This record gives sequence, structure tokens and C-alpha cells, in this order.
Amino acid sequence: MHSSAPSRSRYKPRARLERAVSAWARSRQGEDRAPLTLQSRRIYILPSRAGMVAALLLLVMLLAGLNYQNSLALLLCFLLGGFALVSMYECHRTLSGLAINSALVESAFAHAQGDLLLGFQNTASAARTSLRLRVTAVAPKSFELAAHSSSLVRVHYQALARGRQRIDRLHLSSNAPLGLFRAWTWLHLPLEAVIYPAPLRLRPLPPPVGLPRRSERERRLSGEEEWAWLRPFHDSDPLRRVAWKAYARGAPLMVAHYDAPAGAQRVLGLGCLRDLPLESALSQLADWVLECERRGDSYRLELPGETVPAGHGLAHRRRCLEALALYEAR
Amino acid sequence: MSAELPADVATSAQRWALAGLLGAVLLNVHHTAPWCLPVALGASAWRVWAAQRPSRLMGRALRIGVAVLLTLAVLIGFRTLNGLDAGASLLVAMAALKLMETRRARDWLIVLGAAQFLLLAACLAAQALWLMPLYAAELWLLCTALYALGAGANVPAPAPLLRSSGRSLLLALPLAILLFLFFPRLEGALWTVPREDEAVTGLGEQMSPGSISQLTESDEPAMRVRFDGALPPRAERYWRGPVLHEFDGYSWRRARGDFGAAPALEFNGRGYRYQVTLEPNTHGVLIALELPRGLPQQSPPVSPTFDYQLIDAKSTGSAISYRLESFPQHRSLETLAPAVRALDLALPRARNPRSLALAQSLRAGAHSERAYVDAVLDYLQHGGFEYTLTPSRLSFNSIDDLLFNTHEGFCGHYASAFAMLMRAGGIPAHVVTGYLGGEWNSFGSYLLVRQANAHAWTEVWLDGLGWVRVDPTAVVAPDRLTSDFDDALLGADEAGASARRVPWIARTVQAWQALNAWWQDEFVHFNMRKQLNLLGALGIKDRDLEALVVLLAAGGTLWLSLLAWRGRQRSAGLPRDALSRSWRALERTLRRGGGARAPHEGPIAYGQRIAGEHPELAATLVPLTRYYAHLRYGRHCSSVQLQHFRRAVRLFTARMPR
Repeated sequence: MHSSAPSRSRYKPRARLERAVSAWARSRQGEDRAPLTLQSRRIYILPSRAGMVAALLLLVMLLAGLNYQNSLALLLCFLLGGFALVSMYECHRTLSGLAINSALVESAFAHAQGDLLLGFQNTASAARTSLRLRVTAVAPKSFELAAHSSSLVRVHYQALARGRQRIDRLHLSSNAPLGLFRAWTWLHLPLEAVIYPAPLRLRPLPPPVGLPRRSERERRLSGEEEWAWLRPFHDSDPLRRVAWKAYARGAPLMVAHYDAPAGAQRVLGLGCLRDLPLESALSQLADWVLECERRGDSYRLELPGETVPAGHGLAHRRRCLEALALYEAR
Repeated sequence: MSAELPADVATSAQRWALAGLLGAVLLNVHHTAPWCLPVALGASAWRVWAAQRPSRLMGRALRIGVAVLLTLAVLIGFRTLNGLDAGASLLVAMAALKLMETRRARDWLIVLGAAQFLLLAACLAAQALWLMPLYAAELWLLCTALYALGAGANVPAPAPLLRSSGRSLLLALPLAILLFLFFPRLEGALWTVPREDEAVTGLGEQMSPGSISQLTESDEPAMRVRFDGALPPRAERYWRGPVLHEFDGYSWRRARGDFGAAPALEFNGRGYRYQVTLEPNTHGVLIALELPRGLPQQSPPVSPTFDYQLIDAKSTGSAISYRLESFPQHRSLETLAPAVRALDLALPRARNPRSLALAQSLRAGAHSERAYVDAVLDYLQHGGFEYTLTPSRLSFNSIDDLLFNTHEGFCGHYASAFAMLMRAGGIPAHVVTGYLGGEWNSFGSYLLVRQANAHAWTEVWLDGLGWVRVDPTAVVAPDRLTSDFDDALLGADEAGASARRVPWIARTVQAWQALNAWWQDEFVHFNMRKQLNLLGALGIKDRDLEALVVLLAAGGTLWLSLLAWRGRQRSAGLPRDALSRSWRALERTLRRGGGARAPHEGPIAYGQRIAGEHPELAATLVPLTRYYAHLRYGRHCSSVQLQHFRRAVRLFTARMPR
């Protein structure tokens, strides 16, 4: 697959044609819903380029046989032609009757590659080979299904901007068994991905807040909290965090920054990121969410109009990222 | 392109393709250049070796150099790039060269395409029955290689691969037969293709008996003849081929130039109707029993010559068959045209002087032409001449050498000498080459004429009678006439001839020959005329294209539905054991009653649900579903239990209200 830019632009008319044809196919097939079995009327088949060349060779063979008036050559030609047609039929059958039991799209960060999971089931007594699943403009995924088997196939998709992204159609094809024909179908499954803002680190993680003072101090005194680094003092910083000892040694007014212990809670919000453009701010929040998860901190996301209560873990992370993804999304 | 084909070609797929190519080269080994096989073998061995080191593939400049070199080799060997033999050799060369740069699947597909064309070339070159298994095996091999290439990275084991391709080929066979029978054939060639002069033994353009020191008689069939009624008696089985007129004292050649129409004939006695299947030859004459009346129905029509030959240049290319009627007894109604008389009296000056003197003395002693003919025959009969297939070579004055020196020769020698003596005596004469006799094959009910039956005799013009056949060999070696060819005088194939005298071997050989004849007649020579006959038998008028298209479309549809039916069988994918069949029958029954099984329901849960909805079924259905679960998922399921279950399902189904 040559995916370099010039070659793609060269095939632009072809891409446009494919779009038009698939739109037509969509209008005649209708929308799909996850447990579905591929029926013949939605499977399209055309000779591949190798198939065209093979057809040309067969034509030359036919002419030679007719010209020499040679029965054997003609029979050979007809046998090969029949063989090619059988392969066309087998190619069609590779898709026909294939069941798609589930379709799931995983969220992804903007402009990265996301994953799509399709559950295939082959109820036939013959294997289905040389299958290819492709989301537009991303390298296809090749797979096979043994007889009487099912398999979860993971294929990439290209995530675009933050927000909701519809995976409009999937292209499922096969050129089994000889590569002379290519059968394909378009799947129009209701797949919608939530695209998270791409994480972007512009500011450090805000310190944990909201823990009872005494217990924090106790922990600090007992050495439970680890001192991490010093940073310049801001007006809003609590005085008890000022590194007085360093100040006494003649250093500027610094604030000690502590890594919060497990259970520390951070509040992530747009409040301290007002100077950034909204998208950058959301990207920063996404980064903070990931950072908190990495540290195992409990965090709470506060967005105007939506607040995700404190927590952590995969479900919480997803909730937060989704909130970020969908915040004022178009 | 590359997106459609797997980029990496598995080693086993490469091996399949190489085997396919080598097989195709081997099938062409008899008519391609002698270096073809070594080159192909070398390239394949190199490719296998280079498979481990892909970077070692040959550079572009070197490839072009080798390509030019091999093309030159073909050009020098055949003096042309056109034609079957040169073309096939060139194809081998290019395929071998392509091996040097095969990286991707596409390159291997090109190699396989070349191999398929080589198989086609082999089919064009030779169509003998015994080759068919070889061709079929090669086709299978090529198709398997296609499957292996199509499989991408994980090529299946040889056995399943061979099964897949074999199955596809078998499925293709009905369509191929349909197309073979009904695809419209051409009347003639679209364009003429040059054919190399093949060394077919037997008859040729000229005859120089003096140059032959050993005549190897070939067992190859020359033609097969089916008679509508009785066969002509043995002594009248003279099959006329090329007639030789021009004599330079050593060689006889065919006449060049236009000599008008043949003298009209009056046919007497009984005629024989027959159909000849003539093998490919170099002379282009439709061999006919002496002498044919009318012309064979051919297209394009054959042209009769002034000496009763039927010329059809097409017969050189491939075997043809034609129908004729011949009358061994005939008489000319006209006088001989002066030009032909001059042609058939011409003798080279100052050659064979002793023979000329002999002719003059014999002619002086004979009171009539007829008497002169008898005198010369008598001379040959009693002059101490011997019939042999290994004669001495003759000198420049070949007739003198034969008559006064060597005293030995075969039919060509005596025909040559006799015709020369006739001309010297003022009687127009020419040499006729053809076949004498033939072997009756009772399996196939045809007369087999082999190249070994090749014969030469003379025809002399006697006023009032016309051309009269005189066979001087008959007086020198009378048994040559009366015996079957395989009984005597066979130098070349003694072992084969004596083996054929053993009855069961003879029968086997005859059966094989009959099978061959059938193959030749019905398959190899299946042409437009036979196709029209077949269509006529089906009630389709001549060349009715519409009907042909309908026939082909109907057949094609039938074939497609066969494929579809077979595909349905395979992809239905339901287990086929008896227990499942019974269970499905039960499910069908319940579904008709409105209680389809939900996909998640096991048999027991299903039974209980239905029983809950229809309490009257509970007593039978619940145990039945339990029994099924027991048989299906339990340790054992004996045939008795299976029978039991099936009977129970049948009873249940029968009791269900429809």
C-alpha cells in the first residue's frame, strides 16, 4: 500500500468515484446493525488488476486456439476460464454468509489512531481467507477466519478533531483464493467514537487540595508526604507551604511542592488555564487527567456546566476524558 | 496493484510456481530449442538458491544483456521469432529471465502466465492421447501454484492445496465442455502462422531413392479410413498422394506450373465411400484411394490438379478429415494434353545412358506400348533384382547404377527406374507416391494406414485407357503386395511387429489404436463442421448464432446454479451428523408451532419454556430435550440411542398438529 501523498492525489478521481458508489450502496443497503449476516445482494465483486491481465491472457489463448483450430488449446483455454470463474465464485463466497456479531469503537485522542473492534463469526465449514477490513484512508487489516470459528478483529481508524466522530463506513473485502477477483462490501454500522482532546503539557499539575489540614500536617510531620520540588511563590499559595528555611538562607520566596500521597485529591478545571485558548486548555486538562491516573491520584474535573466528582480508575478516566471531549463540542 | 496482492511470497508458493514452470518447459522440450531445458533448470535452481538472499537478484543491465543474448539464440536457432517453436523457446527464455527478478507476487504471476502459455504451446504442438494425462497434471500443478500464490503468507500444506485447486478444476470442467462443444468455431484461420518443416516420415515433396541407404519405416499412423460399406480388396488399396513428374536423373519432384484440368474419367465397377482422417503432413495432398470421384466437401474447397491430386494446404498444419468416393476401375475419356505429355516424357539429357540404350532395345522388340510395358516388367522380374530397405547408395546416374550395378532397392528405386524406362520408350509416365494397404482395426472399425505403408508406384499413359497404374515393386517383391505390412519386409520395427503377432498384444494394441482414433476423430478434429453436425442433431440450424448464444447462456446459468448449490451446501455449515439433523427437525416442528428457539437457549431450557407455554407437550417434550442434551453433551451416544431419539422425534412430529 503506497500511502504517500502524491500517489493518493493521483487517484483522487477514483476516490471520488468510490465515494459516490458507496453512497449509492448505502442508499440501497440501508444502515446496518451489529448482529448481521452478509447477504449476497450487498456483496460487490470486480476483477482485480491481476484478474484483468489474466482475462487478457485468456483472450489471447482463445484467439490462438481458434486460429490454429486446435481443439486441445481451446479446451485448455475454456478450462482456465472456468477455473477463473470458479475462483470468482469462491471469492464471493468468502464474504457471503459471514456474520458480524459485534461492532465496537474505542475512543482515541485527537489526531491519533484509534481502534475499532469487530466480532466476526464464520459458521461455514470452509475457512474464509484473505479478508481485509479497512476504515477509510487507514492501512487495512488482513485476517482469516477458520471454519466454524469466531474472532475479534481490531482495526485502526484515524481520529480527527476532539468531539464525536462518526465512523461512516467500513470496507470489508477479500481477494481469495487467487487474487483475480476482489469482493467487497461496505458496512454502515452505527459507530461513533468519542475523540478526546490530544494531551498537551503546558502547565504543571495543580497541587492536591481539599484534604483536612490537620491530617495533612500530621502526615507531613510524620514524613509520609514526600517533598518533591520548589517553585516560585504565587499570591494564592498557602503560607504554610512556603519554604521558610530556604528563604532564611537568602533564596527568593519559594513554595514547596509535595507529591500528594495516595488518596490526595486534585481539582482539575479551566480556572487556572483561562489564559490559554479553549482547545489548548482542554488538551492540558486531558494531560492532567492522564498524569493523575499515572500517579494514582484521585481527581475531580470541574467544567462549566459539568462536574465529574472525584475518583480515579479507568471508568473515571473515561468519564473525565469524555467530558473534555464533548465540552462545547459541535 | 500491490495493495491487492500480498507483497511477500512464501517460499512454498515460489516452489509451486517453479515446479509449474519447469513442468511446462518439459512438455515443450521436443519442439523448443535444445538450450531451453538447461536454461530453465538453471534459472530455477538459481532462484531457489537466491531465495535466501533476496538482495542477490540480478541487476538490470545484466538482465537486459541476457535477454538480448537469448533472443539472439532463438533467432539463430530458428531464423525467426515467429512460429510455434521459436515462440515457445522465446517464452522459456523470458520466463527464465523473469525468475531473476521475481520479488513480488505479481512477478510470480507473470511467471505462471508464461507457464500457462507454454502449456498452450505444448497443446498446439502435440495432441496425442497419451500426452493428455501429462497436460492435465501440468494444468493442475499450475492451478495449484495459483492457489499457493493467492494464499499469501501462510500457504496451506500441499495436500489441501492440491485438493482445492483440483476441486476448482473439476468444477470448471462442465463449463469447459459446454464451451468446447458450443463456442462458435472459425471456418479458417484468422491469420496464417508459419509452421516449421516437421520431419514427418513418409511422403514428401520429392523422392531421391539413390540418396537413401537405410529407410527407417515409421510406425506412426499416417491416416485412418472408415469405409461406409465393404473394403476394397487388398490389391486395390492404393492410396494416392503426391505425384512426381520432374526427373533430373536422380530425383523426382512434383510438377510446377499450370497444366489445366485432368482428363475426364469414366468410372466402372464398384465405388467405395469412405472417410479419411489424415495426420499432419508436409505434402498438402488429401490422400485418396485410386481414383476419387468428386471433391470432398471442404471449406475452402480443395483444388483438383491435372494428375488427380486433391491439394489442400491446410492439411499440413493439423490433422483433418474428409469424405470421398473412389472407383479403382476407371478409364480416361480424353486424350492427354500435349503439355502433360511433354512433361511426362521429359528426360534429362546425357544421364543414365545405359538405361536409355536398354529402353531402346526393349522398345524395338515390343510391337505395342502394352508389350513394352510387359517387357520392362519382365526385365525387372527376372533381372535378379532384390527388394531391400537398406540399399546401396546410387551414383549420379542412379538408374544405370540400379539396373546394372547394385540390383537392389525398395519401391522408390523400382518406380523410379520403371518410369524412366517408360519415358525412354516414348510412353508418358510419372511416379505416384502414397500408401499401399493398411491394417484393419476391428475395435474401431477402421483401416489404419501407417507411414510404414508408404509406397511408390508408376502410372503410364496408354492410349484408349488413360493413366494405368503399374507397380514395378509388385513384380520384384510380390509379397510386398499381398502381405500385411507387419508380416514381412519390415526392417525398422521387427520387435514391435513380432509382438503384434501375439494375439492378446495385438488386441491390446488395436484397442489402444481404436481409442486413439476415437480421440483423434471426435476430439482433436472437432471442428466447425462437426460442431454444425452436433447443432443439427440438437435441431439448431446452420450458424444460428442466436440459438447458440441462448444455448450457451442456458448452460452457463445451469453451471452457475450448480456452483451456487454447492456453495450453499458448504457454507450452510450446519453440523451434518444424524443427531443434529434429528434435533433440527424437532426445532422446525416447534418453530412451526410458534416456538422458535432463542439463540441463547440451550436444549433443556428451550424444552422447559415450550412446555411452560404448552403444558400438553410437557410430558413428551421435556424428556426429549433432556435426552438430546444427554446424547449431545454426554459421554456416549450409541447408535441404538440415536435410533431411539430419532424415532421419538418422528413420533413427536407426527403427533403435532399441522
